[in-house]
Amino acid sequence: MTADLHTEVLVVGSGAGGSITATRLAEAGLDVTVIEEGPWISPELYAPFSEAEMVTKYRHQGVNAMLGLPPIAYVEGRCVGGGTEINSGLYHRPPAAVLADWRHRYAIEDLDSDDLSRHADLVEEELSVSRVPADVPMSSDVLDRGGRALGWKVVEVPRLFRYPDGDSSWRAGVKQTMTRSFIPRAVEQGARIFPDCRVQRLVRQGDRVLGAECLRMTSTDGRRESFTVHADNVFVCAGTIQTPALLQRSGVRRNIGTSFKAHPTIKLGARFASPLDDQGFIPMHQVKEFAPDFTFGGSVSRPGYVALAMADDWTANARDIEDSERVGVYYAAIRSDGCGRVRSVRGLTSPLVSYRLTDGDLSRLARSLIHLGELLFASGAERLYPSVTNAPAVDSPRQLVKLWDAVTRTRSNLMTIHLFSSVGMGERREVTGADSHGRVWGFSNLYVNDASLLPDAPGVNPQGTIMAIASRNCERFLATR
Amino acid sequence: MTELASELAGPEFAERPPSTVITGAAGWLGQSLVSRLGSEPGRRLRCLVRDPGQADLVHGRAPDAEVVAGDLRDPSALDRLFEGLEDPTVFHAAAVIHPGSGRTRELFDVNVGGTSLVLDRARRASASRVVHVSSNSPFGFNPSRDDVFDESSPYAPVGGYGRSKMEAEQRVLQLADRGDVDAVIVRAPWFYGPNQPARQTQFFTTVRKGLFPLVGDGSRRRSMVYVDNLVEGLLRAERSQGVSGRVFWVADAEPYPMSRIMDAVKAALSRHGLAVADRQLRLPGGVERLAELVDNGLQGLGRYSQSVHVMSEMNRTIACSVDGAAEALGYRPAVAVEEGMDRSVAWCLDQGMDL
Repeated sequence: MTADLHTEVLVVGSGAGGSITATRLAEAGLDVTVIEEGPWISPELYAPFSEAEMVTKYRHQGVNAMLGLPPIAYVEGRCVGGGTEINSGLYHRPPAAVLADWRHRYAIEDLDSDDLSRHADLVEEELSVSRVPADVPMSSDVLDRGGRALGWKVVEVPRLFRYPDGDSSWRAGVKQTMTRSFIPRAVEQGARIFPDCRVQRLVRQGDRVLGAECLRMTSTDGRRESFTVHADNVFVCAGTIQTPALLQRSGVRRNIGTSFKAHPTIKLGARFASPLDDQGFIPMHQVKEFAPDFTFGGSVSRPGYVALAMADDWTANARDIEDSERVGVYYAAIRSDGCGRVRSVRGLTSPLVSYRLTDGDLSRLARSLIHLGELLFASGAERLYPSVTNAPAVDSPRQLVKLWDAVTRTRSNLMTIHLFSSVGMGERREVTGADSHGRVWGFSNLYVNDASLLPDAPGVNPQGTIMAIASRNCERFLATR
Repeated sequence: MTELASELAGPEFAERPPSTVITGAAGWLGQSLVSRLGSEPGRRLRCLVRDPGQADLVHGRAPDAEVVAGDLRDPSALDRLFEGLEDPTVFHAAAVIHPGSGRTRELFDVNVGGTSLVLDRARRASASRVVHVSSNSPFGFNPSRDDVFDESSPYAPVGGYGRSKMEAEQRVLQLADRGDVDAVIVRAPWFYGPNQPARQTQFFTTVRKGLFPLVGDGSRRRSMVYVDNLVEGLLRAERSQGVSGRVFWVADAEPYPMSRIMDAVKAALSRHGLAVADRQLRLPGGVERLAELVDNGLQGLGRYSQSVHVMSEMNRTIACSVDGAAEALGYRPAVAVEEGMDRSVAWCLDQGMDL
């Protein structure tokens, strides 16, 4: 039997939001307990983007779908460190124009871009955000070269990577996941981290949360044990899907999970004349010419990923898959006018997740795929394989026009790795689930401090925005408690 | 129409460009634009039409114009359209208003996707000016009866068309702000004038039979633009210096009460010897609200019905001010609705149409 605990601060989830929350509050001298549903796995154990990593660190081993037409595949990290253990490590500051827009539309108090820059500066130093000191991989150069040939804006995105032993090649970089950065700091300050424990529901009384009922998932004899954590304050940082699901299970429903945002993403395999030598790495260049409407970047191009990218017309592409070392996988991620919904259902462990794309979204996906195709041809691709069921490969720029009619609701194979806004912050209570600093409406000691809080899609890799806002909210919490 | 063929000269206007690209050249506006520019000596015209058969429409008005037939959504067609041109001006007049497919998706593919491709090619060809033809639809309806839209009115798009034209505008303004493309937006309301499509001819026929519904008391105002007034505004937008990144409403001098528009059509029909029915179909105010609900419902399902959509606008105010264009471009519309409708009816009869 696990003993019940008492803590000043309970943090549910240990991803980008939860880790920085635990660290900031522990370093301020508070007694912090972190409950994480997934396992604690050393980041040295598995190669990034390997099958073993998917099986151990992803929820449902990486297979999740939002219902809708078309359905959208998505992934969630489910391990200590959450999404930071499995993502690309690409870093963007919260864009000033996006912050100004959010401040205005959702009446968010004190969302000052200078103030947030201070937090971003700190996070960048803590995570060693930097550009690759030496040459970039070939797969990244493809984006740079093609974009420049067309006169498009291309950026080398900084990454949260450290280069040990003076080796400045991109292969030597070590991603600063939460288990390599913030979690050890939190532990050093006395924070307790409980992996393999799921929070079943929060215990409420009036406008206060008293604690959480938890389930320890993998005790050595195979049983599950329940225990309660009594807490003075609770920060829910379980991610855009699990945060609203937990709140709903706990009876907190107003503007919780009713509308979330994503960056729907469509992919394209591109075959080049010669092999790409770096298929296990994610390109660090992104094409921002069409931002905020859409951004192009590169994915992992290991053989398994390439085969998946080319499987949409298997009979036609099966022979080409043997050439997979010459294929790079690229993506276009769009700003979406549509929105999704998270619904926890009694008796089911996982919530139902749906997402509705608008016609404008579908059109934007088609448009982005065509512009991406132009870029890849400009950088020397000889053949493109769109992630569209039964769409034939594209062998020249003249054939790109066919993609307009190929990208339909029934044939497009979409995915997303960026989810936000399932709670939303701001003083516009009719649309937000939490106030301007993440306190859930109607509660005095219940907070959300993760991607769920961003009121809309930021249009860039979100980790930097999530962490800067979480850091700001911690500062506010400490100043006003 | 000599009164419109003013020569734009003086320090506020750029030199006449050596070459000009027109998209949508076989369209209602495009044909008038081609006629006007085709008469200018020394200007090389490159025109995009959708079907090869539409080349005759262009050559009938500008025999020396080069015609490229292709899909506005096709990157390789746009490569051909801009091939070999240096610093051209561009009139982007191609768009879908009423999707032939009956699906709203087409609005976005053509109006946003096509604009994105045109702007990209214009940038690569170092276009000296892009004139983007936009619409009142990104602005919806005026909030009150006496309101007029101006250059500072906020976006409030109606339906898929309005949203698609808004997105296209945003892309134009983004590239102009970045200094990547020198571009101006001209927002035009409901057109009338020669080369009109079948839907406008049908409008005349139903007015003649007294079957075009006058909703409410007919005092609601609509801005319209006679197509040659619009061409005049476009040419000024093409050549005016120092206006990149700006937007202009180009319409007839004043918005008209709906009843005046109907009276102008009826008077023109009578003057040309066509009998006009005495009766007038009147519908109570409120019909447009119902139609709007139905239109929103259909478009939400990705479907589009032209008659429902048009009815939803019937008793709403859609009025704009041309003061911005007058001040910055020197725009002075020469034709008003009575004369313009007269010319329109004359054109229809000249074409042997049965009104």
